[in-house]
Amino acid sequence: MTRPDETTARPDEAAVTAQHEVVEDTASPPASGEHSVTGLALRRRTAAVIRRIPGGRRTLAYIAVAGPGLVAANAGNDAAGIATYSSAGSQYIYRTLFFMLLITIALVVVQEMAIRLGIFTGKGIAALIREQFSLRLTGLALFCVLLANTGLVVSEFAGIGAAFELLGVSRYWVIPPAAVLIWGLVLFGSYRYAERIFLILSLAFFAYPIAAILGHPDWTAVGSNLVIPHFLLTKGYLLLGVALIGTTVSPYMQFYAAAGVVDRGAGPANYRNARLDAVSGAVFACVISIMIIIATGATIGGRGPLSSAKEAAEALRPVAGSGAELLFAFGLLGASALAGAVVPLSSSYAISEAVGVERSVSRRFAEAPLFLGLFTLQTALGAAVALTPVNLISLLIGTQVLQGLVTPIVLIYILILTNRREVLGRHVNGPILRVVATVVVAAISVMSLLLLGQTVLGWFGLG
Amino acid sequence: MVTPSPRRLMAPAADALRRRNTRLTTRRAVQQAIVSVASLVGAPVFNQRGQRVGKLADLVARMHGQDRYPPLTGLLLRVGSRTSFLPIEAVESIAHQSVSLRTARLDLREFSRRPGEVLLAKDMLDHQVVDLDGRQVIRAADLYLAPVAGQFLLVGLDVSLNTLLRRLGPKRLRGRPTPERVIDWDAVAPFSDELTSSPPAVQLRSSDEQLRRLAPAELADLLEDLGRPARQDLLSRLAADTAADALEEMDPDELEALLREVQPAQAAALIAAMEPDEAVDALRDLADGERAAILAEMPADKAGELSALLTYPEREAGGFMTTTLVQAEPDSTIGEVKRAVADLSQHREEIDAVVICGPGGELLADLPLFDLVTHADDVTVGDVLAADETPEPLTVPPDASVAEVADQLVRTRHSSLLVVDEHGQPLGRILADDVLDALLPERGRLHFPRLLR
Repeated sequence: MTRPDETTARPDEAAVTAQHEVVEDTASPPASGEHSVTGLALRRRTAAVIRRIPGGRRTLAYIAVAGPGLVAANAGNDAAGIATYSSAGSQYIYRTLFFMLLITIALVVVQEMAIRLGIFTGKGIAALIREQFSLRLTGLALFCVLLANTGLVVSEFAGIGAAFELLGVSRYWVIPPAAVLIWGLVLFGSYRYAERIFLILSLAFFAYPIAAILGHPDWTAVGSNLVIPHFLLTKGYLLLGVALIGTTVSPYMQFYAAAGVVDRGAGPANYRNARLDAVSGAVFACVISIMIIIATGATIGGRGPLSSAKEAAEALRPVAGSGAELLFAFGLLGASALAGAVVPLSSSYAISEAVGVERSVSRRFAEAPLFLGLFTLQTALGAAVALTPVNLISLLIGTQVLQGLVTPIVLIYILILTNRREVLGRHVNGPILRVVATVVVAAISVMSLLLLGQTVLGWFGLG
Repeated sequence: MVTPSPRRLMAPAADALRRRNTRLTTRRAVQQAIVSVASLVGAPVFNQRGQRVGKLADLVARMHGQDRYPPLTGLLLRVGSRTSFLPIEAVESIAHQSVSLRTARLDLREFSRRPGEVLLAKDMLDHQVVDLDGRQVIRAADLYLAPVAGQFLLVGLDVSLNTLLRRLGPKRLRGRPTPERVIDWDAVAPFSDELTSSPPAVQLRSSDEQLRRLAPAELADLLEDLGRPARQDLLSRLAADTAADALEEMDPDELEALLREVQPAQAAALIAAMEPDEAVDALRDLADGERAAILAEMPADKAGELSALLTYPEREAGGFMTTTLVQAEPDSTIGEVKRAVADLSQHREEIDAVVICGPGGELLADLPLFDLVTHADDVTVGDVLAADETPEPLTVPPDASVAEVADQLVRTRHSSLLVVDEHGQPLGRILADDVLDALLPERGRLHFPRLLR
């Protein structure tokens, strides 16, 4: 997960030059005083740095509205994502790469539709669904989002558990306090500070692209797998394929991306920038995912399904050597804790938005009972399921399969909304996009249905 | 400056709830006869002889007009795959889940919306409205009609979660009104997209009157909660200074988003009507290009004033002072000064003393409003200054920090102090509440999408 505005500002000398800059350019004041490191101050500091870069002003205008797309798409690289991509690498080496290329196209198309809805209507996706569909269909859509997200919450707590098991602490000791901690941080408003720590921890996963290069993969094999389909017609491959879709095109990302642009007041004038942000964010997220698969494929490819986080961590050995497990544990912890708050909030936000009640974080419980109640429920449920004594990696991938099954339903709603002239006016899907988007949604649906069919047949011993 | 306004701590207005309850009881008689719109949609429509002619697709009501409750003007009837308009004159009765017509002969017309007309199911049900008693933005879970004096009127709106569950449940239950949280239509300000796009010639509703009477903080909450089209509609219904007061109370991030949404000309009008210190804060949060576009739309003197303020860093005295000053000379009379203060009544929160300057513009004293009240109108300011031992005016340079300003105020127990340039000329005033804003941490509502910024 990255934030362009902050990464630029992070080096200390950048902050210092920004302070200095203020002397001539007082429109961006220094962030001194009692609470200097607020997001706003950081953004201003960045602004001052960017002004020094030739053409930086345009970049700044971009950053002012950009971000939600990038953040949303990269949020896909969470605990469950890492587990699924690692599993793909270890089980099928590079055979899923072409499939990932298709998923990249799907993610780009879907994220672009989501931010277009936000930009041209000024409303969140849940509000649009409530206004455009019958109440029952709204209920179905929100139930799907809640189901998928609760699954994700389970996986985030499983991720926290797995991270601590790598460090030698039993998950039964860690998950309950972690759940209480995240819940408390969000409810009592100090989450924004904790979030920075989680973000920095999750940067550990940027070791993957380096590991992919240092792991000396067979680049010709990587190349041929990227451009030529290498599908397998087995149940395991189908299962993993659905999990890859689920973890890359998670429903909450579309809700988050739309809510993000609405929240920033981005209007039609900002559409080009926001689209650029959404598309580049989606591509960037998928490049990282592909790198994870390559890194894992090069180091432990061909071993079959992953059985533990320890195995997954081996993929980082080319970078960190014996510290690979530690690096992996930190990354996993950061990414899981980050998403552990964002995901349940995302579904609470969507449902409260559709019902039309208070949906901000820092109100007291009695003022936003539905919003905070749903958040509490998902956190509790997620932590409880993650405590059941099953293999954590299977649990992680299982939740992504659930996501993959629910994703097409949510995508159909988004597709219908973006096809409706009364919603988007002249910004409805054009004829080409309409075909591409329909093919994307249909393909994902077919895969999910195939998996569902196979599973049901399996119950009757026919699969 | 961040404005963590005290409204966040207020309990929901208890009297508003009580008022709502009285309304509820007085309308009990009406409740016996009310019909739920949610259950009517899709209900069968019968002709005079009791034959089924089609299904009800929607109800048309006239939203803008003199009426307190919007009357129905017709129905949309679906016969086969065709939807057509039926004027209300053709309707005999509207009951729970069925509609009977007066005639056997149907005069079906294509529906074309007249100004101010709204489709109840499509444009109102499930859309955002403002509940003026509860001072909140809600979504209509159900709408209730009642037959009154030969007309069918839209009398109330239901917002309860139970009603949503009822509508999700089996059809049999859907027609049963569950009016535990019915809001009288009189206390509702609708914001349908269709209303927003209807011509401005439409009559003002009494709800607009009530909207204007809300406290700025309450309006700010409503603005934050509404969707974009509705927010713009609400802004356009408010006078510029009412709107500006509300904007001053908004969360800085929300305000930034709002200013980005509206046209630069409208943003300029709103910012120009805000207090200078709040206006500068709002402008500071925008990107350079956006700020320049807004300043270009303002009258030159206002733009110049704000640009000058913008050159002071945000957390120094110059950055959070207000430039609204009442100035007088020693030979003005108290009566003249009072009139000068009265002329600036729209800045009442920003004035707690009068700056007394000599002929060269040099600062002589800072005369508190208290002294204006306790002296006769014909006494001159000079006499007052000579008689009382008015202390030296409390001043800071424009680059003083928040902490220095706070120290000065705490030490002297003054409620405000003056910012002066190096020649001793007054530039602006800082009130104790400005310092409070600067010292308190951000406590605005945190909307979820902002969590990851």
